[in-house]
Amino acid sequence: MSTKQESASIHLNDSKAKSSTKKGTGFNVTKLEKTLGGLKFAVILLSLFALAMVVGTFFESYFGTDFANRTVYKTWPFMLLQFGMFISITFAAFLRLPPKKRLYGFYTIHAGLIIIGAGSFMTYYAGVDGSLVLPPNTPNREVILSDDVLKIRFPDEGRLVSFKLPYTGFSTNIDEVYQDIKLGRYLPFAEKEFRWQEPRQKYQPSEPLHSTQYTLANEMVAQDFTLSLHPESIEFESNLTLGPLTIHYLPDSLAQCFGQNNPSKLILWDRSQASCYTPEDKKIAIKKADSGRRFLVVEHKGDLLSFFPDVSPWPLDQEMKVKRGAELRIFSKKLFEEKPNLFLFGQATAFYDKDEDQWFQKPLKRNQPVEIPWMGFELIMENHQISKVPSLVPTKVLPIQKNNEMIKGSTRALELIVQDQSYWVTNDQPVQLLINGKRVVFLLQKESLKLPFEFVLTRFKMEKDPGTNRAASYESFVRLFSENGPENHHIYMNNPLKHQGFTFYQASYSQDRQGNYSSTLSVNVDPGRPFKYAGSLMLVFGSMWHYWLNFRRRKKGKVSPLVAGLEEPPVS
Amino acid sequence: MLMARNLKYLFTFFALCLFMASPQSLADGNRVEQTYFCQDELGAIPIRQGGRVKPLLVHANEIIKYLSGKKSYQNLSAVQTFCLLSLQGMDLANTIKLSARVDHVDAQKFLELPEGTKTIAFKDLVEEIPRLQREVRKQKIQDSRTKALQTLLSQAALYREITGGQNWLLPAVTNQRVDWIPVTSFLREDKILEAKRISQDPFTKVIFDEVERYKKVAGDKHVMEYHFVKAKLPLVSMLLTLLALACLTLFKKFTLALVFSFSTIAVQLALITVRILISGRAPITNMYETVMFSGFGALFLAMIVGHYKKERVYIYMGLMYNACTLMMMNFATGMLSESISPLVPVLRDNFWLSTHVTTIIMSYGALALSWILANTILIKKRFGELSRQDEVYYSDHIYTTLKWGTIMLGAGIILGGVWADYSWGRFWGWDPKETWSLIAFVIYMAILHGRYTSWIPHKRFIPLVAGAFMSIMMAWFGVNYILASGLHSYGFSEGGALFLGSFFLIQTGIIIITTLGQGGSIGSEQTSS
Repeated sequence: MSTKQESASIHLNDSKAKSSTKKGTGFNVTKLEKTLGGLKFAVILLSLFALAMVVGTFFESYFGTDFANRTVYKTWPFMLLQFGMFISITFAAFLRLPPKKRLYGFYTIHAGLIIIGAGSFMTYYAGVDGSLVLPPNTPNREVILSDDVLKIRFPDEGRLVSFKLPYTGFSTNIDEVYQDIKLGRYLPFAEKEFRWQEPRQKYQPSEPLHSTQYTLANEMVAQDFTLSLHPESIEFESNLTLGPLTIHYLPDSLAQCFGQNNPSKLILWDRSQASCYTPEDKKIAIKKADSGRRFLVVEHKGDLLSFFPDVSPWPLDQEMKVKRGAELRIFSKKLFEEKPNLFLFGQATAFYDKDEDQWFQKPLKRNQPVEIPWMGFELIMENHQISKVPSLVPTKVLPIQKNNEMIKGSTRALELIVQDQSYWVTNDQPVQLLINGKRVVFLLQKESLKLPFEFVLTRFKMEKDPGTNRAASYESFVRLFSENGPENHHIYMNNPLKHQGFTFYQASYSQDRQGNYSSTLSVNVDPGRPFKYAGSLMLVFGSMWHYWLNFRRRKKGKVSPLVAGLEEPPVS
Repeated sequence: MLMARNLKYLFTFFALCLFMASPQSLADGNRVEQTYFCQDELGAIPIRQGGRVKPLLVHANEIIKYLSGKKSYQNLSAVQTFCLLSLQGMDLANTIKLSARVDHVDAQKFLELPEGTKTIAFKDLVEEIPRLQREVRKQKIQDSRTKALQTLLSQAALYREITGGQNWLLPAVTNQRVDWIPVTSFLREDKILEAKRISQDPFTKVIFDEVERYKKVAGDKHVMEYHFVKAKLPLVSMLLTLLALACLTLFKKFTLALVFSFSTIAVQLALITVRILISGRAPITNMYETVMFSGFGALFLAMIVGHYKKERVYIYMGLMYNACTLMMMNFATGMLSESISPLVPVLRDNFWLSTHVTTIIMSYGALALSWILANTILIKKRFGELSRQDEVYYSDHIYTTLKWGTIMLGAGIILGGVWADYSWGRFWGWDPKETWSLIAFVIYMAILHGRYTSWIPHKRFIPLVAGAFMSIMMAWFGVNYILASGLHSYGFSEGGALFLGSFFLIQTGIIIITTLGQGGSIGSEQTSS
């Protein structure tokens, strides 16, 4: 490419001769063709191309690889620019026909570039570039691609609908309707923001709906957490484990019973009334069964229920069958004395202090720390809501990437509008709804491809640099199940596996908490590959050929490279 | 030579840089008298650290420089300092007061240093480790303050490891097997007492006896590296290049300049060869090595082309650029680390990678020649004399270097694609490093195409070529030091951004001063078309 202008640079007389031969041989050059194949057009395109790439690399540096692809490299203006260069190269060659011996190198260069362009287009159009994650000893055949899709699953009908989302870097309004489902805003880069939302449905007044935000802190660490009893709360639950500490979030009406240091340490909870009492309150006798276990019989709405409180919270009915989900249940505080358990009731807390061998119940007031008996921790109630729903709502952000890791904007989110209610489905949180009595599951995923064969990772090997923790190499031993039966293969860096047109490369690995390694293979199908290689070879050898031809011409004194300007074929 | 007179100025400029950068004489504050058996000879013994076996000299130099910013402490060498600090773990006291540099203002505040103090004694810094750990863990976003604190934390942790006697690992040979054990367990009392009966210096005897056994089992590659480091080949080749340049421009002794040029080539060839022998791979895997290779390659190429073209200006370009790279290697040690460390897996045993990077680095070298000549012409035209004929003559030579450079750059980019295809299965992935090399290529292409339009006459061609090299610098250093993301992993350091910024500023300044001075004539001269 670098060289065509010089070969085209010829003496004035020469060019006149050329133009006349062109007319003579029927090569008519229109003004448009001359412009498209002209050097100024080429210079403009090259400059724009460079500029766009500079912007792309800075975007990549600040906002991440994905964002740069979505806003620069894989957008239509950038593609158009590349197509323009393709046109420019083609016309530049066309303008210098019929073939002349001294331009053989030039033709080879340009033909090489055109072939590379064609090969790249084939890769873009028909190629596959994805990744396959292989957890240990778990078969997999699903290749994850880069396109975002919304999958709508109807489990009752066993139906699955896929909807392709646009490849964009910014918030986009999809505005499509599928049956009763409307797709609203799509946020390719979002952060989840905490919000208190109004409930969508009406509830019985007795039903506990409250949610609370707390902070647990000592001198070394501080942890914020939110707990909720609201049935509409998706992200926040009523149980939490923080290291050795287990936290239970219970309806506020239970709080007062926890404070009573009743000898039996039993509490009965009536869900229908949202009230609690102790056996001592109602003078219910606690007996001992033949096995030595405690049991008690309680009359509730005419039924006689028996409880074995140290075994199960659920009662047995007269036929001695376990009644799961019964209105009345029992707590044995004894079960929570051995390990650290913290009970929270919104604006109250209860816990067992081993040193004092006693249960404590304390009210919580906003922003007033309460000491709890583990590692100098203090509990602070930050916010309490009686009926509002704590939720994480996706909001659009500009992503930030640092050290190859997305530190902001790693959530993708799509708004679903069903019966005038808005729901957000994100890549890490599927949404399940009841629409006209039918269950519908929404998943925001990457497009995937099912391989016609299956892999199992049988062994993953990692070698480290001597005396350090840095990986020196990682290798996957896989078993491939295809029609020809199982085969064992060994995939490692620079030793890919080729099978049925797919190529599998060792890309990376991950380690779970138990220390098991999962291997990630990149999966590739590239129909344009031979073209790209052939074009590249033509480009390099064409340049050499061209300079050689030029060098010989110069030696013969035919051309002086610097004095001559470029003569382009005249307009006919 | 046509340009010799004005080259004097350039040469004086470089010589001045050299003097300014030379180390200042040390104030003789508190000499360390008690050195036990810590002598410089210990530098030759092997140590396994950072994933490979190397001489203690190399390890001590790297460590002491990392901790204090200098390769020595008062009257002690790095080896002595490292040895004495390690002996602290065996209750052998010393009077060394090593301090860490604290340049970041927020870090100074965090450590509650008194106003104007920019250092903290490691003895105090070690006390701060728990507080530093907590602070670093708390930060979610990596800003410069967190980075500075992280560096201090790892320096302090390293210092603690050394003074605990845990960093100095020595070989222990048992039946053809080598274990690396800390000095505190290596110098056992019984061994020393036994050696004391035969030797005046039992510690040294115990160590060197074991090293002899080690050599029988594992060879003596580290000894070669020891002598290699001692020979200071980068410094030798820099002096040779400067001598050659002086002979060429100041004294106009071309034959002598040629002799020195050949000696430079020979020394650099030795430097590169030994590095290959030590690391066992092509010498192009970190910034230091690419700088080294491009300077050498450019001089080599310039001498060949100069020979065939019978033109001395190529020797000038090659020497001038080689001098630049060698000065960077010798003085910009904060930015370019000469240490040899193991590679990430994808960069290992890879024919395509070696071919790709070699071609790219050679192309950078060739394009640097055009950059040198373009700037020389600009300065000479502005501040000296240069006839129009000479300008045209020299821009023809610029064109020759561009021709070599762009062919190699193009081939290098393609080879990069082949490598990526071979290793990852994709030819092109818009990785910043590959994109920037394409940007540089496209910029040179735009200039070369534009040269045959009325847009780029000679007067614009030369400043454009000088400026276009900034894109090479961006692809070469900027991606690592400014953009710092992507798959390519040659190093990353803070000083780099500053260096690159000043380079861009100076280069732009030269172009502005030299072209504005030429009055409104720019663009008035056009090639005939």
